[in-house]
Amino acid sequence: MSSSTALPRRHLLAAAFGGAFSGAATVSPAAQAAQAPLTVAAFPLVDVIAKDLLKGWQQRHPEVRAHVISRQYDDHHTAMTTALSTSGHLPDVIALETSYLGRFSLGTGLEDLSAPAFGAERFRGSFVPFAIDTARNRQGAIVALPSDIGPGSLFYRADLLGQAGLKEADLTRSWESYVEAGIQLKARTGAYLIGDVRLLKDIIVRGGTPAGEGQFFDNQQRPQITSPRFVRAFELAKKVRQLGLDARVEVWQNDWAEMLKRGRLATEMSGGWMAGQMANWVAPGTAGKWRVAQLPENTYCSYGGTYYAIPRRSAPERKQLAWQLIQELTLDRQRQLDAFRSQDAFPALLAAQEDVFFDQPVPFLGGQKARQLWRDAARRIPVVKMHKQHKFADEVINAELDNVLEYGKPIPQALQDAQALLVHRANR
Amino acid sequence: MLKTSRLLAYAIVGVGALIMLAPFYFMFVFATQSRTDIFNVPPPLFFSTELLNNIAVLTTRLPFWKNVGWSLYVGLMSTALTLLFCSMAGYAFAMLEFRFKKALFALVMATMMVPAFMNMIPSFMVMDALGWIDTHRALYLPGAASAFGIFLMRQFAASTVPKELLNAARIDGASELGIYWRIALPLMKPALGTLGLITFISSWNNFMNPLIVMRTAENYTLPLALRSLFSTTSTEWGALMAGSAIATLPLIVLFVISSRQLIAGLTAGAVK
Amino acid sequence: MNFRIPAAWAPYILVSPFLILFAVFGLFPLLFSLWLAFQSWEPTSGLDAMKFVGLDNFVFALTDGWFWKSLRNTLWLAVASGVPQHLVALPLAVFLHQGFGRWRGLFSGAYFLPYITSTVAIAMLFGSLFSTDYGLVNQALHAMFGTENINWMRSPEAIKPAVAIVVFWRYVGFNLVLYLAALQTIPRDLYQAATLDGAGPWQQFLRITLPGLKPMILFGVTLSVIGGLQLFEEPFILTNGKGGADQAAMTVGMYLYRLAFDFSDFGGASALAWIMFGVIAALTWLTNKAFADRRVQP
Repeated sequence: MSSSTALPRRHLLAAAFGGAFSGAATVSPAAQAAQAPLTVAAFPLVDVIAKDLLKGWQQRHPEVRAHVISRQYDDHHTAMTTALSTSGHLPDVIALETSYLGRFSLGTGLEDLSAPAFGAERFRGSFVPFAIDTARNRQGAIVALPSDIGPGSLFYRADLLGQAGLKEADLTRSWESYVEAGIQLKARTGAYLIGDVRLLKDIIVRGGTPAGEGQFFDNQQRPQITSPRFVRAFELAKKVRQLGLDARVEVWQNDWAEMLKRGRLATEMSGGWMAGQMANWVAPGTAGKWRVAQLPENTYCSYGGTYYAIPRRSAPERKQLAWQLIQELTLDRQRQLDAFRSQDAFPALLAAQEDVFFDQPVPFLGGQKARQLWRDAARRIPVVKMHKQHKFADEVINAELDNVLEYGKPIPQALQDAQALLVHRANR
Repeated sequence: MLKTSRLLAYAIVGVGALIMLAPFYFMFVFATQSRTDIFNVPPPLFFSTELLNNIAVLTTRLPFWKNVGWSLYVGLMSTALTLLFCSMAGYAFAMLEFRFKKALFALVMATMMVPAFMNMIPSFMVMDALGWIDTHRALYLPGAASAFGIFLMRQFAASTVPKELLNAARIDGASELGIYWRIALPLMKPALGTLGLITFISSWNNFMNPLIVMRTAENYTLPLALRSLFSTTSTEWGALMAGSAIATLPLIVLFVISSRQLIAGLTAGAVK
Repeated sequence: MNFRIPAAWAPYILVSPFLILFAVFGLFPLLFSLWLAFQSWEPTSGLDAMKFVGLDNFVFALTDGWFWKSLRNTLWLAVASGVPQHLVALPLAVFLHQGFGRWRGLFSGAYFLPYITSTVAIAMLFGSLFSTDYGLVNQALHAMFGTENINWMRSPEAIKPAVAIVVFWRYVGFNLVLYLAALQTIPRDLYQAATLDGAGPWQQFLRITLPGLKPMILFGVTLSVIGGLQLFEEPFILTNGKGGADQAAMTVGMYLYRLAFDFSDFGGASALAWIMFGVIAALTWLTNKAFADRRVQP
């Protein structure tokens, strides 16, 4: 962990490095090549953060213009796939969301930032460990720098819990006790334990994944669907469904929001940013009634996050400028804090996590000092390796879960079928 | 028809129309609501007061009126070109005999059978090679001889334009192209009106092509621009609905205009 | 004009805009995707990352459980949403054409509105209407038939009808407008003569209207076949791009898109697209045959 005296030094180092580079750029022929404006491709609301930064950038680097191209989240990633595939009209800096980073880092489209020309390894200690390690490709090289993360926690309605005569520890002691608590909640308050039982299944699987392996595949690319963590996840999910503890609503859908507004959902598992979403528009009327706790059984995971990368096929001079820009976007403590305050973007930068802002009470959560909790969680999140078929595996597991829950398919059979399907595809 | 069954028929058609209208009505209601209220289930039924706020968000986040302008421009160009090219080809396929006619028409039909997004990456490559990235002609030119339009024109011409009329004109010494322009085309007005309407709508609502080609927000057309308000966690629902509602207005106007055209086509078609 | 274009050239001149545009913009993508069907390609690594794999992709597609599931879904949805469209649009067009007079424009406009409503609005609205506990559809059904709440969006059996309803709602007006335009072309005097001869409305419908509309019916049905088999947008927006529980609403179009952009398997997606091309071409040809054989062409 960095102490407060080391921080200014690192910060100065980065600034000096950047300053030296911009100085060099004005005289070298690289400046001519860099005449075309730098483009940062992003999506809402990352684009707002980037645009803010670029205002200051323009003043510090008057000879290099820069602008942000913003598209809707899915459109952006589709456009990036297209651009990288044909190497046409590549942006200089690409913003990527975690799940897409996983996919993109498996190919060779992103520049290797650990290479001497960039030297990203010296920053690895500046970030929360899992964040920088998630940005490594198959060869272990860093291909992106993290900007924000979404430390997962358990949101719960303190008032409903109290009504049911339960304590927070009843929820978090173990997954079994979480489900037991759900029974009490349903009986005494009528509220569902959880909106979407898939979230429970996902967390249990995540939590049971050995360090350094993938959620569905091990280090030899073999599917692990019949392993104990899946059995446990499926069995608990089945129990939840049979007891009627899940509301069968999907996050971000209207009926999910409606249930939250009406206090029909007692818990929600999500990243810290969910507090802001709920406070702003999903269920502002429930302010003060929620609290957060670490997920049961010391499970730590991240819900979402943003990274910045450079396309491998960009011109070398442009890559250097882009690298400079990325450093400013990710290593600047003040920027990260500003983004946290305005856009609820939880900083991946360790330095930015040392600030009084973290010790302030969060009104929506009834004054709980939740940011400390999230900071703590962030440092313990393990790295989960991505596999090319990760998304597909996710779908297959969900489909089999539906078979178990809707049609009563026996769990061993369901897991076996999923395993077979993934073995068929593991090498595509 | 018996009076009661006629009334019943009217009633059914009327109720049907209301059901068709309902989601549309809601779109306008949502345009005046705040983003929290839109998400209520059941949805709000009556207008609220957030319209100006929503429009303010819309115009701050996007160069909205520019996007509207571009959508209009691309739509009009697309419609004009499509009407010309598709009526030409459709007439030829319906009324003229020539070698390779069957094969060419099969080719036309074949282009309808490939899913659009499979073409994304190669289309991008073609546009890049031509230097047409971020230009608007990349939006209205490639699809101007659409298979749908040619097919429609062909079916319409085959059932509307009498061969005797064409033969008579030929005997009188008219040129083939002149026959197309002066005799066949006026007879195909209802189809032209329909095709124009559908082409404009499809150009207006198209977001796949602009996604591939456009890079700067000032050049976006409406669907792409409105989509950028749409994010999993922080969608500006009110602004999005307001934008969608405004985006629909020109289409309604166009529909009204072309309805008149369709009805006018009645008099043209009946003179036989 | 002094220069007279030879009559024999006229057809080719008329067809030339299509040919030129196709040659420039249509041919390359077709060839590219045909080429791609024989490659294994992870797109973000760039064009040189393609590896030739022969018929591998085709074999994979044909032995893929998800492909067959999506094909079954697509056929079900195409029929369930397509057939009602025409069964409703045709009589409705006739009814509006004969009856309504000045109101015709208004009513056809009302039915046409769904076609121009933006997809975002549709997703939002139908998500709300089909909500299990609070949606208006369930409440109406309960009030009228006393049914239990149907979990439209999340139970596999209910998603399909929900999507079919939305597709029907969206395109019935489109077909209505097409048929209305076509009805304009049937000369009024035919009907007048038939009435003088003593033919009733049903007979006039069968003997005059239907044959007169045949080219447009063929057109509309062909479009529904092609459109139905390529169904993508409505299931996509209603299930958030996932296909719903047990992929019940995942059409081939959606599976193709997911293969390419979600699972990074462009080669597989291309092979699948060409397989589907074959299917669509075959069904279109059959449709054409079904309509052509009975009557003599004018």
